[in-house]
Amino acid sequence: MKIKHIGIGIVFIIILCLYYFYNPTIEGIFPKCPFYSVTGLYCPGCGSQRALHQLLHFNLLETINYNALYVIGLFSILYNLIIKGVNTYFNKGYYNYLNHPKTPIVIGVIIIVFWILRNISSQPFCHLAP
Amino acid sequence: METNQERPKNYLVESILVTIFCCLPLGIVGIINASKVNSEFEQGNFEEANKASASAKKWAKYGLIAGIIGIVGYLIFMFAIGGMAMLSGSSGY
Repeated sequence: MKIKHIGIGIVFIIILCLYYFYNPTIEGIFPKCPFYSVTGLYCPGCGSQRALHQLLHFNLLETINYNALYVIGLFSILYNLIIKGVNTYFNKGYYNYLNHPKTPIVIGVIIIVFWILRNISSQPFCHLAP
Repeated sequence: METNQERPKNYLVESILVTIFCCLPLGIVGIINASKVNSEFEQGNFEEANKASASAKKWAKYGLIAGIIGIVGYLIFMFAIGGMAMLSGSSGY
């Protein structure tokens, strides 16, 4: 079990290094979105590799420009870590809103709506496209 | 007693990350399971909540594995087989 976790960690670090040193906009070594290749439509994850490259270089605006779902992803990671950390180390009992019955539904709806909106090519929505 | 039941992990964060990075369909399944964990636990069906938690974990894991295999497999294809020459241009994941 321990060795498996270390292995997964090493793979993650290697992948993150790749995304740090190679810009997916320029280098063609990263996989393309299969959904985009087949249908020509963007999926909610499109742009996430370019966004990851920008995020690792701390260009937050560019990150959001490529994939706005990073806001939800980052926010949920940070929120979860902070709430859990505070509850464990300071013995508090703050309610974690990720455990609320409605939260996953809201996030699912946001992802679906984002999916639809980013495929609309008229003015206010075209910024959502990668 | 039942009121002290420990809340099963709902893997919502993991599912969101899988949705964005690895494999959209599996991530959506994970999110649905996460919502099941929360609502069943809220209603007191601890057994159902645990079951949903286990399947949320399963789908998040599958999504992660699919994503890693996809990326690593593609990189191997590019470097080892020289697919770089065959496919070029910007990425659109």
